[in-house]
Amino acid sequence: MEKIRISSFQLFLLISGFLFGSTVILAPAQGAKNDAWLAILLGGAGGTLLMVVYASIALLNPSKTLVDILREKLGKVVGNIFAILYIWYFIHLASLVFRNFGEFICTVTYPETPIVVVIGFFAVVLAYTVNGGIEVMGRLSELLVPVIPLLFFIIGLSILTVHDFTAFLPILENGIKPVLSAAFDYISFPFGETVAFLMIFLHLNKKEKLKKVVFTSSAVSILLAVMVFFRDIFALGADLMSRATFNPHLTSLLIPGLNVESLVDINLLIGGGVKISVCVYAAANALSQIAGIDDYRKLTRAIVTFCVVLSVWVYENILEMFSWAEKVWPYYSIPFQIIIPLLLLLLSIRKKGKTSKAKAGSRKG
Amino acid sequence: MAIVLAVFAILIFYDVQKFIREKERARVFLLYGFFMATSLTVSLLLAAGRRPSSPAQWIEAVLKMMGVLK
Repeated sequence: MEKIRISSFQLFLLISGFLFGSTVILAPAQGAKNDAWLAILLGGAGGTLLMVVYASIALLNPSKTLVDILREKLGKVVGNIFAILYIWYFIHLASLVFRNFGEFICTVTYPETPIVVVIGFFAVVLAYTVNGGIEVMGRLSELLVPVIPLLFFIIGLSILTVHDFTAFLPILENGIKPVLSAAFDYISFPFGETVAFLMIFLHLNKKEKLKKVVFTSSAVSILLAVMVFFRDIFALGADLMSRATFNPHLTSLLIPGLNVESLVDINLLIGGGVKISVCVYAAANALSQIAGIDDYRKLTRAIVTFCVVLSVWVYENILEMFSWAEKVWPYYSIPFQIIIPLLLLLLSIRKKGKTSKAKAGSRKG
Repeated sequence: MAIVLAVFAILIFYDVQKFIREKERARVFLLYGFFMATSLTVSLLLAAGRRPSSPAQWIEAVLKMMGVLK
């Protein structure tokens, strides 16, 4: 295991970049239509709670990765089986983000370029980043992630002349059900996916700041998602927004006399890049731990290659990708994002209780 | 097809010669071989236009079988 430490600011930016990820492009909670802002707030609150669960697991098991925790709490055999499932989940998640990125670029920017070429070039850069280690990833996020809100403000201010500030009304036109459903989707994408950070939290230099970092980054992410939603709905209107695929890109096209399309591409490059790097790092690290390999870098290129192939293989077209992400992904993610982490939290609390009792007993004795 | 083979040949040649030079353990070769062999097989099938059923379909089928999805 690396003896490298990252600062709380670097972790804050890594988590923020991960949460911005493809959400800056794909407009989360779109199912709630013009009530998506409510879904983002509700889902965001639930997602923050979930992230606090992950942070608590990390704090109750200091200096341990997800693999160590699984092995310790569930036994070596069951723990290893669950760890392998998590490796699959991280690889799958990385490949989905690769595909999102590829589909976006091939739909709006390079329609003549084969998707595998776009994803392949992106993968080369990311494999290099992951091989640099968590410290390099942290420094890169310090450099790049602040660009995302900056670009949001540039696009938001440029679009001020094209707006309808009442477009999000009426509130709860279709009832609360679509809002709750979209809120649940928003918990699993992107908040629940931060379970990958259980492989990274141990590298934080000041452990006492972990919960604060998690809370701040999720608050910033929710705020940005709500602002992106309002910017898009003011510019596009509820009807067009519910039918368009890449809303932020469409919004950027409306800016009169200015072509800022590429700024949206940069958002996805940065956010998606952070998300894929974290997932590949988590997968490679977990796999090397299970197999007893001293350096995860030996497996990075093989895992990234597999992610690229999987990203092309996993869906036949963009429609299947969106449909699967909306209908299957939230349910498929429940065990990885909610059930297993809650089980680990309960077992960690129980163990801590036992240790405290034993200490108190030995003092009395 | 030829491009796929060429890309994989370069990747494998680059990594494996490094592994041999550093006298890596068998499990490194095994894991590396597993990922690369799977990737190569799927890539060749995709290049040949014979897309095998994807993990997304398997997962969906399992969830339907469990009654989670309709």
